[in-house]
Amino acid sequence: MPQEKELGQGQGHQREHLQEHQQGHKRDNNHSPFQEDNYTHNIRKNDERKLDRRGFMKTLVGAAGVFAVSTLPWGTLAARELTGLKKKAYPKLKIADIRSLQVGDAVEFAYPGEHDSALLIRLGDNEYKAYQNACTHLKCPVFWSKEQDEMVCPCHHGIFDARTGIPTAGPPKRPLPEVLLKQESGAIYAIGVKRYEA
Amino acid sequence: MKRSYLGVLLLCVVLFLNIICTQKAVNAYYFEHYRTVIFYAVCNAMLFPIALWIYQRERDVQ
Ligand code: FES
Repeated sequence: MPQEKELGQGQGHQREHLQEHQQGHKRDNNHSPFQEDNYTHNIRKNDERKLDRRGFMKTLVGAAGVFAVSTLPWGTLAARELTGLKKKAYPKLKIADIRSLQVGDAVEFAYPGEHDSALLIRLGDNEYKAYQNACTHLKCPVFWSKEQDEMVCPCHHGIFDARTGIPTAGPPKRPLPEVLLKQESGAIYAIGVKRYEA
Repeated sequence: MKRSYLGVLLLCVVLFLNIICTQKAVNAYYFEHYRTVIFYAVCNAMLFPIALWIYQRERDVQ
């Protein structure tokens, strides 16, 4: 049959169909020549489209590689922190003059970086506390409520004790990082951030 | 041919450990436990050759 020669190998479907056609099974023209789905009729290998076992394992190995690489920067940062400056060097920053701060007042400042907002509260005559005021829940700025005598996060009503920084209500679970203070010649200075205790 | 899914299972375990190590490392960094950070980072890095070894072993068996 000349027709058979024309058809390349692996075009079995077509051949079958033609044979069918020749045998008189006539159909209307409003059809694609194949009985199959147009998008997959040329896939012959079994399960060619599926992610097979080996492919899946390769993916897993790749993912392990990604994980390994992704923690390297943390490791290097930690190593630098360990080797370099044993103790983190914090700048000394003047926050406010004592005269300008009444008992129960609070001032906002930035420490240690210019984007780390913090809050200094004068709780008593000689009692000062300062915290980095990004809420430990989702980083909203916490403010000092003089009336309620506590620090309030407006976002989800988280509440922190101003004396310890520990959350007393709402979603936050971890205390606010405390800023270390120093009193010097009538002014309050920030000298560091307390190490976070797990 | 009977398939062995041991490799797949082991690799899943490795990936699970990867996730744990990553989380632990980042957390430790936050708490300034730098030695712990390095430990977990090294663990994470070591898991990759292990994964590779499991994969090759499984492939060569066939
Ligand atoms: S961000 Fe402060 S309670 Fe949610």
